[in-house]
Amino acid sequence: MNNYWRKGEPFIWGTAAALSLTLLLAAVLIIVVMVNGLGVFWPSKVALASLKDGQQVLGEIVRREPVYEGVGERLQFKVGNRDLYGLDFRWVDEAAIASISYPQQATVVERQEYGNFIGLLQSVQAEGLPTAATPWERLQAARRLVVEQQEGAEEQNAELAGLNIRMERVRRKLQKLAYAGKTADDEEMARLEQRRREIDGAFEQLVDRQASRIEELHRTTATFAAIDGSERVIRVADMVRCFRPNAMSPGQKAFFYLGKLWELIFGEPRESNTEGGLFPAIFGTVMLIFVMSLFTFPFGVLAAIYLREYAKEGPLVRMVRIAVNNLAGIPSIVYGIFGLAFFVYGIGGSLDRLFFPERLPIPTFGTGGILWASMTLALLTVPVVIVTTEEALGAIPSGVREGSLALGATKFQTLYRILLPMASPGIMTGLILAMARAAGEVAPLMITGVVKLAPALPIDGTFPFVHLDRKFMHLGFHIYDIGFQSPNVEAAKPMVFVTTLLLVLIVLVMSSVAIHLRNKMKKRYAYRTF
Amino acid sequence: MDHKYLKRVRRNDRFARYIITVGGLAVIFSVILILFLIARVTFPLFQQPSVRQVAQFNLANPAASRVLATGVDEYLENLFLVGGDGSFVFYDPRSGQTVERLAAAPPAEGLRVVDAEQFGAARYNLLWNDGSLTMEQVRFRARFDAEGRRSFERSLVRLGSLGPLPEGLPQRTLARGSAEGGLVRVTLQADQRLRVDQHLVSEDLFGDQTTEHYDFYLETVAPGEKITALTMDEQGTALYAGTDQGSLLRWDLSEPGEGVLKDRLPAFTDRRAITALGLVYGDISLAVGDALGGVSTWFPVASAASGGEKRLQRIHTLIGHGSAIQSLVPSRRDKSLLSIDADGIVHLDHMTSERHLLRLGQDRPLRHLAISIRGDGLFAIDGQGRALVWRVNNPHPEVSWRTLFGKVWYENYNEPVYAWQSSSASDDFEPKLSLTPLIFGTIKGTLYAMLFAVPLALFGAIYTSQFGNDRLRGIIKPAVEIMAAIPSVIIGFLAALWFAPLLDKSVPALFLTLLLIPAFLLAAVVVWQMLRKRPFFKRIEKGHEFLLLIPVLLAAVVAAWQLGPVLEAWLFGGNFNLWLFSEAGSRYDSRNNIVIAFALGFAVIPIIFTIAEDALSNVPHSLKAASLALGASRWQTVWRVILPSASPGIFAGTMIGFGRAIGETMIVLMATGNTAIMDWSIFNGMRPLSSNIAVEIPEAPVAGTLYRVLFLSAVFLFIMTFVLNTVAEVVRQRLRKKYGRF
Repeated sequence: MNNYWRKGEPFIWGTAAALSLTLLLAAVLIIVVMVNGLGVFWPSKVALASLKDGQQVLGEIVRREPVYEGVGERLQFKVGNRDLYGLDFRWVDEAAIASISYPQQATVVERQEYGNFIGLLQSVQAEGLPTAATPWERLQAARRLVVEQQEGAEEQNAELAGLNIRMERVRRKLQKLAYAGKTADDEEMARLEQRRREIDGAFEQLVDRQASRIEELHRTTATFAAIDGSERVIRVADMVRCFRPNAMSPGQKAFFYLGKLWELIFGEPRESNTEGGLFPAIFGTVMLIFVMSLFTFPFGVLAAIYLREYAKEGPLVRMVRIAVNNLAGIPSIVYGIFGLAFFVYGIGGSLDRLFFPERLPIPTFGTGGILWASMTLALLTVPVVIVTTEEALGAIPSGVREGSLALGATKFQTLYRILLPMASPGIMTGLILAMARAAGEVAPLMITGVVKLAPALPIDGTFPFVHLDRKFMHLGFHIYDIGFQSPNVEAAKPMVFVTTLLLVLIVLVMSSVAIHLRNKMKKRYAYRTF
Repeated sequence: MDHKYLKRVRRNDRFARYIITVGGLAVIFSVILILFLIARVTFPLFQQPSVRQVAQFNLANPAASRVLATGVDEYLENLFLVGGDGSFVFYDPRSGQTVERLAAAPPAEGLRVVDAEQFGAARYNLLWNDGSLTMEQVRFRARFDAEGRRSFERSLVRLGSLGPLPEGLPQRTLARGSAEGGLVRVTLQADQRLRVDQHLVSEDLFGDQTTEHYDFYLETVAPGEKITALTMDEQGTALYAGTDQGSLLRWDLSEPGEGVLKDRLPAFTDRRAITALGLVYGDISLAVGDALGGVSTWFPVASAASGGEKRLQRIHTLIGHGSAIQSLVPSRRDKSLLSIDADGIVHLDHMTSERHLLRLGQDRPLRHLAISIRGDGLFAIDGQGRALVWRVNNPHPEVSWRTLFGKVWYENYNEPVYAWQSSSASDDFEPKLSLTPLIFGTIKGTLYAMLFAVPLALFGAIYTSQFGNDRLRGIIKPAVEIMAAIPSVIIGFLAALWFAPLLDKSVPALFLTLLLIPAFLLAAVVVWQMLRKRPFFKRIEKGHEFLLLIPVLLAAVVAAWQLGPVLEAWLFGGNFNLWLFSEAGSRYDSRNNIVIAFALGFAVIPIIFTIAEDALSNVPHSLKAASLALGASRWQTVWRVILPSASPGIFAGTMIGFGRAIGETMIVLMATGNTAIMDWSIFNGMRPLSSNIAVEIPEAPVAGTLYRVLFLSAVFLFIMTFVLNTVAEVVRQRLRKKYGRF
């Protein structure tokens, strides 16, 4: 026993405990994200609780916890119907509940606005539907009908958008001419004015037609009753989804889940980002990383090659190397503030004055945008690429280099034909690590162009197709924004967890691949001294 | 071989060398340029203000009409003088020619102006020689013609007039008007009495105006003492006077028909005479100029000595003059103050930062002085009747090293404080930009996080590199590295929206966890004693201990969270947060330092772990083998041989982790609460430098003071992390040299 203590074995257990704790912490984080994120889209049952005082509560049971003072537990119901009750959630003491049942008829309606409606379907008002069917069947039929009609409206929307863009172009041209000193009696100006009036006319007409169409759409409605008896007429066109969770089979639920997942990845956000999809945010993140890589990759590799292969080893190069390593540790917010001053106000402001003076004081490039955000992130991640590329080049045994040179190859040939291919897994690692870092970085983006809701994607069908001056959305900022800046944090929580899960998955997969590549490469060139 | 081909190859090689060298150097140096570019933004904060004379001309006939006051418009394009005949003469600074002359109509035929007092925005009280008073305002309206040239329409508007007094011509008179049309006049009589005339206009619910008139005398100085300076705030509710014996007096005139003497105190121990008074912009601080050339500012402060009542107190002392102060002219833009002495020397000082900004008039004494409303122009007349105009470049007078780092006594505060409060709803608000609470916040959050992270990361690294099973090590290390890739926004979000509410309910359970984990660990080791001899368990001691400990630790945590409420009920009366407030007097914030320590710690653990593990496993195996062969146990080998050899690497890892924690933004932004308080309690939040930048920079006007101060805080962050990282990097390179590769 004494010997055991003297040898210090218990200390080893102490260090083991530290490792266990670290791993546990990481596991807790992943588990919390998974548990909260994965279950969000699974349709949970709607419970009908009859209270002892005669009231009834209809909603999903979200949580239960001990009562603050006293005994027993209380349940949190997600009752929905924000437009009726003001709040989505309601706490009920378990002691006050007489019975809980799960009625088959309970219907959940996902709406374009005001969150979910939970209630009972009463009737459907629509033209040209079989009257004999049950209300539920009639509702399904009405929804199919409305979806068809909506497709027509979509076409008109596209037409409207096209007109809008043409109008904007004419307006810009007019602005430019006006800036150049042309007056209204100028021939070109008059022609453009004429064009503008034409487009205006077409626009008005189209808007009128659309309005009548929408009115027609809105005539199809369904009447629901909330559990307190109040009735609510909901337009079928405003329904995103309508389902009866208590009557769904596991297969239907799985199908529903997949549908929601599809919407998450390819849909547009609704309800100030707390519902709907993440497509613009995913698109923004991917595009940001892509544009960033265009800068990071060539410059990082170039600098690393210079440092490792061309620079003469000496105090200067050592200092530069320390500085580069160092830059990887500079806080990201410092890069952000630099990006704001140098890219946005400095370069962007100059570009505006040079090329778009007619639009001032409305900035074009002199405000945050995806280009500046990408360049800021590129600065932030260049050191990562330099360091890993340098390591990869340094890991190649010098015998390889000398062999190539001895065979008569020039330095550039050696580099191009031998060293770079050998180091490519390492370079890829660096790039992937840089991309993973960029995917998760938020602070510098917040001041260089990320927004809560971007009106248009940075790539679209209008000339010049790629709009690097536009503001964009980002998954990481999405989490911060809906978790902390949304008016209804409790209702937004599920969406935050889902976004978190998505971002964690992206980053973890990317860095796993990078680390795997690196370890493989290390093994290839590793040699041990002992 | 083909000669041409060889030539091309050689050319390519040269070309590549050239491109790579230039490109590589350019990338590296442009990246390093960042510090310089950020720092450059902050330079104007500390620049001495500069002044440039833009015009000088002789006044047409200065002797003919006595100059009583001067003024200038906001563009520095209209200069004017108030003459003894009640005329306002406008000059064009470029040509020096008189462009217009507007005359204030005398209240009665044949009167002269004996005194003019300037106050507010280009308003002048003219005292006529029969004792009556008129209040005039000079207005400019700028016009732009087709070519964008500016021209002005000048006008003189009479805001009010008051008739002569029965006592005859007073020594001094002050008057203020209210927006509703009310007037207050204070006159200093030859017998040193102060007479107050109030014409108050009040409007009832139906919009009917009624005017009330009060006149009364104020309780003043002892006989033999003479009032030498007088001033009043813009509402006409606070009156200040200074005497030739060095007494300061303050009256409150806010109640109609009543003047309450609030203060009568000797301002200076040597009883020097007070020669000038003025109110600094905002009408709270009183600037006092004395006969010995001293300038100081005062405002009422509540202190224990005065029984909680507000009494005038000297707050700031500015750089003194060589002779008696003649007059004090406050800036209309900030808390700057112009003072002019009997020798005609002018100082420009900022009150709060106590910065001495400018000194003018050494070569020629100056007399009448006016400052433009934006504070960027000065107009003065010298002893020979020449008019001089300067343009002042003075962008950030309120910032000095002292206001950034020291305690500053701001207006309406009872004592000097460290404060960060960059904006407010009101216009005459003075931004309080002390970086001390922010640096304090950064250091506090980081320190607690390191307390949590360093032991876990280092011990974990020791175990993984020295005792852990090789195959498991191949999994653990990448796992921890992947942990490093988790975006900080996710850690911050979980800390603020998942962990903080959880902690709210069960702080005692957390403390219990800290107790129970070692206890359970000890128990486990003791139990292990009895089991370890069996052959099955032998295998566990070969690097699987940590797996066995996971259930033990889980059990400890579960037990703690179960027992937590019991402990809370028993020790803290059922509610720890309430107990903390009532017993320890410390508030419990939901977003507090415990949350930060966990979240920030979690973010830096992988960084420290990875670097420390690298350093530990790169210690040559020969050392370990020799130590073990000499009979040391494996713990003794690690403690006495491996750790000392790897200590530089471990130090480097800790430093880099520290640097990362200092600069982390999203976690602290979400989970600190962002209140700039200075309190070491772990139950409070803070406002660190990094999140402060993220919060405020989008709102900061470009090139404004706040913008530059935020850049300055970025420079501090840069320097802090740069120093930490450089130290770590140098140490690491030494280690690499010592043990070969990495």
